[in-house]
Amino acid sequence: MAKAFNAGRRGITGFLETAERELLRKLFADIVTMLEPDTPAHEDPLAALIGLDMDVTPPSDPALRRLLPDAVRDDADSALEFRQLTERSLRETKIGALRAASLDLEKEKLVLDPEAAKHWSMALNDVRLVLAERLEIRDEDDAERVHQVQDWGDAEDVESYLSLVYNFVSWLQESLVQAMLAQLKSTS
Amino acid sequence: MSVSTAPETDRDLSTHVLSAPDIPWELIVWNDPVNLMSYVSYVFQSYFGYSEAKAEALMMQVHKEGKSAVAHGTKEKMEAHVVAMHGFGLWATVQKGGGRG
Repeated sequence: MAKAFNAGRRGITGFLETAERELLRKLFADIVTMLEPDTPAHEDPLAALIGLDMDVTPPSDPALRRLLPDAVRDDADSALEFRQLTERSLRETKIGALRAASLDLEKEKLVLDPEAAKHWSMALNDVRLVLAERLEIRDEDDAERVHQVQDWGDAEDVESYLSLVYNFVSWLQESLVQAMLAQLKSTS
Repeated sequence: MSVSTAPETDRDLSTHVLSAPDIPWELIVWNDPVNLMSYVSYVFQSYFGYSEAKAEALMMQVHKEGKSAVAHGTKEKMEAHVVAMHGFGLWATVQKGGGRG
């Protein structure tokens, strides 16, 4: 079983079983694949440099749309214009955090400095957002329904399996964030 | 005729008011059933540099009231913040400030 993350003098430490590492590696890789843009960076080097993408449209996959939401409400034109200016770099930020967390899984020991911990918390959060969309978690009642699935012996279909994975990743993120908050407190 | 010039003045005035650079914009963070309360508080503390008390209060407002205006300022600043919030996975939008600021 994984151990909760713990804030110590050397940083935040954690422990994951081999199977848990494999699971996380797969989840991180799946979301990197979702986030990789369909079209290559703009041919115009200046446009590519600033991440401008005039061909971008809001994602049709609701899970991807949750990762890359509209920045302006009730104004599709402004939201699209903003997306053209920012979506590509947002994708890159998220892919960067997921890849960094995935690399940390290669190491024997999980010891995270503040930057690595931040990447991990972002990566775990994106995993949860995608799983939540697949599990149709729309309100607190849905969240409670998924939370009830706790026994791996109950993993009999895709939904119960995804629920167990969601609960595991939620537990892991909560323990990591508690360690990060403890660290913030000790440095402030 | 004075009647036709009066609306003209009004229009100029309202354009001026709307485009005035000191009209504050705000960053709204919305509630969702997925993001952990602890994580939202961590983001408010680490990204904005808010105290634990302020971060907790804003997080509770998001949780209980469905949303909170967590930052105010220029359009450019709020746009940078909204991208950062989306990076963290929080559900955030920018809008022109309401009756406050």
